[in-house]
Amino acid sequence: MSDLSPAAREVILAFADDEHLMGQQHTEWIGVAPFLEEDLAFASIGQDELGHAALLFEVLVGGDDAAIDAIAFFRDADEWRSCALVECTLEDWGDTLVRHWLYDSAEELRWQLFAGSSVQALADIAVRAESEERFHRRHGDALLDALLTVDDAAGRLQTALGRLLPMALAMFDGAAGEADAVSEGVISGPFASCADAWKQRVDDRFGAQDWASIDADPSAGRTTRHADFAPMLDRIREVLDLDRSAVW
Amino acid sequence: MGARRTRRTRPLAGEPDNGVSRHQELELAVHQAVASVDDPEYPGVSIVDLGLLEAIEIDESGAVAIGLVPTFSGCPALAVIAADVSQAVDAVEGVRTTSVTWLTSPAWTVERISHDARQQLASEFTVAVEIGRRAPSCPRCGAPTVEQSLFGPSRCRSVHRCSSCHETVEVMRS
Repeated sequence: MSDLSPAAREVILAFADDEHLMGQQHTEWIGVAPFLEEDLAFASIGQDELGHAALLFEVLVGGDDAAIDAIAFFRDADEWRSCALVECTLEDWGDTLVRHWLYDSAEELRWQLFAGSSVQALADIAVRAESEERFHRRHGDALLDALLTVDDAAGRLQTALGRLLPMALAMFDGAAGEADAVSEGVISGPFASCADAWKQRVDDRFGAQDWASIDADPSAGRTTRHADFAPMLDRIREVLDLDRSAVW
Repeated sequence: MGARRTRRTRPLAGEPDNGVSRHQELELAVHQAVASVDDPEYPGVSIVDLGLLEAIEIDESGAVAIGLVPTFSGCPALAVIAADVSQAVDAVEGVRTTSVTWLTSPAWTVERISHDARQQLASEFTVAVEIGRRAPSCPRCGAPTVEQSLFGPSRCRSVHRCSSCHETVEVMRS
């Protein structure tokens, strides 16, 4: 859509890039998740996030598949607006589960920011996405309910939480011109306006955190790329690099 | 623009056929063409009966626009279904061009699945449909089923087990 302001485009792109890479990260657990139900869950949850990303990219560039591929896969690293939480490759299942929970509990709140958007397509997508997010949160909560009551598992999950929180806080890093997008009604508030509600969810789930002593990692925001980003982009582009017009 | 919009989830078989205009005939033929497309996962079950068809618009030049709603936004079958619909509608006499669009609104829900399709899913695929919060009934014996896994072989299905006969039952949900 060409009538979107530059600020609106930045905000939509930031969310689309987060959704895209979160989806790609989840798909990397297919076949190697610790048990079958998790394999299926991560395939499905990843599929949803990729679907959301495709819809957001479509708002930006229209419905042509080649245009969506171009924006999804063929931008230079400095043109991406994702945060480090979704760019880093996690090899530990505990870390992955905690990231999944941290991301999805924030994602639901972020969709709510778009629910009354002045861009009708965004408002429509937000309704769909929010209803899909219920399943993601139910999945993460069910596993954590079971694991947080087991000493060994709880210890590992709490360690993972401590490691990931500074990076997770950078999810609320704003896109360029975010304030303009808010005044245009594209989004009802900056990403950071969700942070308090999200911290409350984290406290309720994992126990009260000393938030005053946890700072967002300054290198985990939207203007820099994590070291894992470049190899990941190579992996997800592998087929398209062989044949740009490949379909499946 | 002269475009006409229909919202139909059932075939038009019962409609009077006397005095129908050429436009209505074409509309009926296009609807039947869309209804001839099966879900790729459930051969024999029409996408119309699954509630995927939302709108058919036909202008005076024979340009047809089909609006479909996806079960879930990331469903990998969307491209296949759209191509099948496009091919089926293109083959209808009087159709000049066909465009198929996946709509972002309204959201698909299991309530859109027709009664006949529910029976068919149950008898041919051992698939139940979750309506509201009630435990879906086992297609084999009718006893309540118990959820085993929130996510199943595709995004729109969870995996249940029958509390009585222990049959594994896939459950479509929204």
